[in-house]
Amino acid sequence: MTSKRPFTYTTDAVVLRISNLGEADRIVTLIAPVHGLIRGVAKSARKPNSKLGGHLDLFRHVIVSIRETRSLHGLSQVSTVNGFRGLRDNLQRFSHAAYVSELSERFSVESGANRPLFQLLINVLESLETTTNQEMVVRFFEMRLLQLNGFAPELSKCVETGVELEPNNHFYSPDRGGLIHNNYQSSGEAAVLPASLNTIKLLRFLSKTDITQAGNLKAKESDIRQLSRILREQIHHVLDRRLRSEPFMDEVRTRHNSNQISK
Amino acid sequence: MPSSNIARSAAPPIARLIEAFHRLPGIGPKSAQRLTYHLIRMPEEEANEFASAILGVKEKIVLCNICANISEGEECAICSDLQRDQTRICVVEEPLDVIAIERANVYSGQYHVLHGIISPVNGIGPKDLKLRELISRLQNGNVEEIIIATSPNLEGDATAMYIQKLIGPSGISITRLARGLPSGSDIEYADDSTLAHALESRTEIPQSPSDQSD
Repeated sequence: MTSKRPFTYTTDAVVLRISNLGEADRIVTLIAPVHGLIRGVAKSARKPNSKLGGHLDLFRHVIVSIRETRSLHGLSQVSTVNGFRGLRDNLQRFSHAAYVSELSERFSVESGANRPLFQLLINVLESLETTTNQEMVVRFFEMRLLQLNGFAPELSKCVETGVELEPNNHFYSPDRGGLIHNNYQSSGEAAVLPASLNTIKLLRFLSKTDITQAGNLKAKESDIRQLSRILREQIHHVLDRRLRSEPFMDEVRTRHNSNQISK
Repeated sequence: MPSSNIARSAAPPIARLIEAFHRLPGIGPKSAQRLTYHLIRMPEEEANEFASAILGVKEKIVLCNICANISEGEECAICSDLQRDQTRICVVEEPLDVIAIERANVYSGQYHVLHGIISPVNGIGPKDLKLRELISRLQNGNVEEIIIATSPNLEGDATAMYIQKLIGPSGISITRLARGLPSGSDIEYADDSTLAHALESRTEIPQSPSDQSD
């Protein structure tokens, strides 16, 4: 039996997506701890004098009044809790925020309470504002997102044979959702990814740590690349799609690394 | 489509027009019906003029070879006007932004229309914008200033940052439209970001001539 919610309610939310509607309105997609994904219309939000427009910008943590309707809800009385200004003046932080924001949307449903995901998103956006290790914060987000949604990677036993894995280089299977012993012969049906001993240690560490420790974690570039590939392929497998924000994030990272774009 | 039921009960040509109007942005099923029945009542001459205006737009309008604004020829009226300042380019998101800035009647330089904004969550990246065309415009060395007039939101900021990183090494001055409290608004309702920008960009109040004479 579903509980009947009030017609109008006020909630904390984070703005995940914005698009224009008509002459001056905006369609805003929000994520809220109890109500999950909310799609609503902010009337006249594009006009300079709008009381809503300034608050309803991407990645903002806001308090908003929602008037429920059968299709798009009405948004009003918005105030900002945290504008995450640190994401505003750095292209790499912005690209990572866009990625975690899109992931949060893909793993959420309307009217589906998900307080842990909401809190995780807030924590990661806060961390992305200041951390010097954005890469590892994003990897932490991916790992925790998989765990919260019941797709925690199997990192101690071989997902093919069930035997405990000895400390060594192995493989990772996104299809099976975990590590596979290094003597596994691929049948060609399912792709497996290389997972070095260091990468496996990073995966295990991320699966148990908190965001502060993840942000302090240092690793070799090659291991980070491998870790990133494993987690991303796992997410692609779960979602059965690639994310729209990935190409931009990769481009900014590449340019940043080659000092073409640096902050 | 919500208009389908209404359209199905109407005569086929009417239904076709209702559906066509309904596909336009901001036009709901009711508005689509109202517009259709307005056209039916319209004198034939006016209706023909309306139809030929739509066809004319599709047949004659192209993108300007220089600034990518919508134009009737290879070069738009602004780019072909030699009286305008050739050393400044104002970079805007959409052709409608050119009209808005021209309406203010304070800018006499050139424009460049990006036809979008960097929006990773909507899958729009730098390659989808007219950025390559902007870079090639800077090769002749005449341009002294690029004014970035993207929207004052996070995606507008990201686009501005991207352009700044792209053009910065060329030594051309890059500026952004000032931002802060809009005229006629209340400080009480301003968000933190707008207030912060308004404070950062505060200006000294000039003394009026009458004060100086006192």
